[in-house]
Amino acid sequence: MTRESVYERLNNVFRDVFDDESIELNDETTADDIEDWDSFEHINLVVAVEEEFSFKIPMGKVITMKNVGEMVDIILSMGK
Amino acid sequence: MSIVSFWFLVFICAGVILYYTLPKSWQWVGLLVMSILFYFMAAVPYTIVYVLVSVFVAYLATNFAFFARFQSGRGKKIVCILGILAIVVNTGLWFVLKGADIWGKLVPGFNNAPVLPVAALGMGYYTLQIIGYILDCFMGNALPQKNPLKLFLFVCFFPQLITGPISRYGQLQGLYEGHELSYKNIAFGAQRILWGFFKKLVLAERVGIAVNAVWDIQGQDAVCLWFAFLLYPIQMYADFSGCMDIAIGTAECFGIKLPENFNNPFFSRTIQEFWQRWHITLGTWAKDYVLYPLLKTEGMLRFSKAAKKRFGKRYGKFITSAVGMLVLWLVMGIWHGGMKYIVGVSMWYWFLLMLGELCSPGLKRLNKILKINEECFSWHLFQSIRTYMIYAVGAVFFRAVNINEAILFLRNTIGAFFKGKWNFDIIFELETIMGLSGRDWIIVLLSIVMLVLVGLLRQNADYARCWVEKQILPFRWGIWLGLFLFVVIYGKYGAEYNAVNFIYQAF
Repeated sequence: MTRESVYERLNNVFRDVFDDESIELNDETTADDIEDWDSFEHINLVVAVEEEFSFKIPMGKVITMKNVGEMVDIILSMGK
Repeated sequence: MSIVSFWFLVFICAGVILYYTLPKSWQWVGLLVMSILFYFMAAVPYTIVYVLVSVFVAYLATNFAFFARFQSGRGKKIVCILGILAIVVNTGLWFVLKGADIWGKLVPGFNNAPVLPVAALGMGYYTLQIIGYILDCFMGNALPQKNPLKLFLFVCFFPQLITGPISRYGQLQGLYEGHELSYKNIAFGAQRILWGFFKKLVLAERVGIAVNAVWDIQGQDAVCLWFAFLLYPIQMYADFSGCMDIAIGTAECFGIKLPENFNNPFFSRTIQEFWQRWHITLGTWAKDYVLYPLLKTEGMLRFSKAAKKRFGKRYGKFITSAVGMLVLWLVMGIWHGGMKYIVGVSMWYWFLLMLGELCSPGLKRLNKILKINEECFSWHLFQSIRTYMIYAVGAVFFRAVNINEAILFLRNTIGAFFKGKWNFDIIFELETIMGLSGRDWIIVLLSIVMLVLVGLLRQNADYARCWVEKQILPFRWGIWLGLFLFVVIYGKYGAEYNAVNFIYQAF
């Protein structure tokens, strides 16, 4: 799995969760950049990512990840 | 020993000298000795036993669990049991000693809060810190601390002992590192402490006199009641954030960075934003260690899915967030340790946040129809005043002794407004009625203007002291000397005056 392919799949997950086809993610994207990304959508997002990449994100990572770049790092190290 | 006393300043000076004369690998021991000394001087000495129990339990649980992780089969189960046990012991100890007002009402046989032994100093704050540490270890965000004395220092580090901020274990690794003596750290720390003294001694104490006078009389005059109603949030802010400035500044003198607890809360446009700027470390603690784990439980995920299926995406999310927020706000309310906070914190904010969530799309549409420019200054001002008023209502529950008194005060205040009991002549008698002279009111006004200016500077540029640092020398010294003299001349302190305890010291 390459970083590019993760981004491709992750863009689709985000667009689906936030109902916004214009979302284009990069390493620096944070909750501040996407209007509806609050605590509740954060968990919905985590669950959607877990389903897409078939792995469980540990609770510790759910709390600490600061931007999409870190999310991609986690996916690359644990996802399928 | 109060942290707004001359002796506290002497204590810091002695501490700084000791700290920087020690070899770097021993500096943390110096901090531990200072923290224990401070505890003995500021609290009932024997209550340190409670702190020791908390640390001991957390130390054993996290270290044993770390070893058990590598055992096969039963290891995982043991880890879970140890984690839960450590959290239950810490929460239980805190709840018995600090939550008597709540459990006293729930346990049959007690009509009022029973008389209990004195709780440990800053118990509400350090309990959250230690629970955070335990969870961080069990969630893999931190490695267990192998040295129990170092863990003890994390819990009882003296600047943050009284009212927080609630630090994370990972944020305070600076405690164990050696630091070089740095002019910048000492200067910035001292400036921040001075700013905290200003907020507490000049503003909070002065406003407190006026607010207390109105609460003591319980009169029916609208002008007095509204003065007290509107001034109390300012007193709370100056008191709590002043204490935070002293804590953060003191830590900075030792080269240690504590997390910020405030970010101009009264500039907030919504109550949701307010809580992201007020007592930040409590809010983020509750979000990370209560809300997220709760939302990610199997049960909540199933509930969320079912709600979305039944009520659609928007209302499904609303129902899930209503349940999640209810738990979060109950935890925040209970943490304050009294029934009145469950009403004035939990219920009040939960209700308003949910109402805001429900109405915001409609209100946005209405603003579009009415062609209101949501980015203009006056709209922002209106939103900030609205947020301030909402907070002022919740703050009444902090000032009142119990729920009934809070409701009575609110009823009187609102009632007087509508019954037209506006005796404006009273403004000329504020000295006799509210205990503050005309000069005092000018100082209060001036202080509020200074707070707003510093707030605007931070909002739009940088911390005020970073801005001052860039100025020419006479200007810099003029500012700090001026502020110092202002505190010395107009601060409420001295032999005949005892600064009252910090409001948030009660938790």
